[in-house]
Amino acid sequence: MAEHMMLIDLTKCTGCRACQVACKEWNGLRAEKTKFNGSYQNPPDLSYDTWTLVRFDEMKSENSLKKVEWLMRKEGCMHCVDAPCVQACPSPGALVKTPEGAVVHNPKYCIGCKACVVACPFDIPRYSPQEEKIAKCTLCYDRITEGKVPACVEACTTGCLEFGPKEDIIARAKARIKEVDASLYPNNGYETHVIYIVPKYAKVEEYSHLNPDPKVPSTELWWKNLFKPLTLIGMGGVAGLAALHYLIKGPHRVDDKGTEGGDDNG
Amino acid sequence: MTREPKGVMIMASKEDMVRITDAQERITHWILAGSFLIALITGLGLMYHHWSIIPTIFGGYYASKWIHIFSGVMFGLSLVMAIPMWWKECLFVEGDGKWIMKAGGYLWDAEDIPPAGKFNAGQKIFYWFVVVFGVILVVTGLIMANALSFPVVVARWAFMLHAMSVFVLASFLMVHIYLGTIGNPGTIQAMLHGWVTRAWASVHCPRWLEEKVDNTSSSSNS
Repeated sequence: MAEHMMLIDLTKCTGCRACQVACKEWNGLRAEKTKFNGSYQNPPDLSYDTWTLVRFDEMKSENSLKKVEWLMRKEGCMHCVDAPCVQACPSPGALVKTPEGAVVHNPKYCIGCKACVVACPFDIPRYSPQEEKIAKCTLCYDRITEGKVPACVEACTTGCLEFGPKEDIIARAKARIKEVDASLYPNNGYETHVIYIVPKYAKVEEYSHLNPDPKVPSTELWWKNLFKPLTLIGMGGVAGLAALHYLIKGPHRVDDKGTEGGDDNG
Repeated sequence: MTREPKGVMIMASKEDMVRITDAQERITHWILAGSFLIALITGLGLMYHHWSIIPTIFGGYYASKWIHIFSGVMFGLSLVMAIPMWWKECLFVEGDGKWIMKAGGYLWDAEDIPPAGKFNAGQKIFYWFVVVFGVILVVTGLIMANALSFPVVVARWAFMLHAMSVFVLASFLMVHIYLGTIGNPGTIQAMLHGWVTRAWASVHCPRWLEEKVDNTSSSSNS
């Protein structure tokens, strides 16, 4: 199946949380005990059992008719093109980038090392100490490979969520930001398979838990692209040079009189 | 005594042997070495996906994770034993700089090499590398194993510094293994049973032989 994308048009989100419920239902995720914190956001955060969440923020409005602007944002895995979590994962098969663009975790192979949690620029994967594994949105990989849209998209009441082939979604997004004078996120060149349309009256910074400048962590680039190959080059290189040294110079022997024999000529 | 062929380690009589390490040093050395090697091998298995043979040998990726963490903790504990045990003998003294410039004659022929003590300047450098990068490995490893208890920027730095320290230590380890084994026959005995020939010591540790063995009563060298 070709590369697909999801578009989250925040100008259309009403915060109904149908996506949240549909996600729980389709993926068979347990309900959680929650707590009222003075916000409509519920549950308070993503978790091992909550893979998508509508975040609620209140922003001071410049509209004279109302004091507060509601910002609702459906949060979940962004399914990065160059996914840092997949690169960081030590266990093959535990986190996989699929041809459809989804980044899928497989609990069967997850060893619970938390490297992906650390690597993620969006703080998405959630670790369960009980299960010793991580979990996150899979873009409903089991649905999209059957030609269906993800459960959240299916359930969306306002058309805020759209899913389709990459080119179609990008074209839709570009047309839409002209139509409503909005902007795209991410807008720093970082590529993901989930993109947002952010309304003009809100800035990216106004949304809580949304990294305004997502990128592969530079620390990961360093260890992955530099120290990882260097370790092999270093160990292999030194071992090779030692072998060469042995072949050329031979062992540095000491006889019982305390005289040195640099080679075996004597 | 019959003259053995040159280079063959003859089992000399006790008078010809001196003891250069005590049991505590040897045990510490091998716990340090063993735990590091196990952590290194499992770590390489977790880092290089092509080497899935390593996790297979160690019982899978999940088992490898725990063996890696456990051997890392063992390495940390043995470091705690090793650091106070050798630091005094590994302080640099006059002549060590010159020794380094000539690599002590271990890598190429050199004349006029300052006499080494129990540890030569190269071994001292290795010791301090093990201290510095070993501590970094253990500290960053503990941070990685408990990554979610730290700010994410700290955890990210831990991953990078862990990999960097492995590169440095594992490469240096190859030098250490070569020079301690086939490169210098007879040397490994210092870490097996501690007894080395007087001849070996007069070449590899002349200053130690002179100051610590010959200057003390001859019966106290065991």
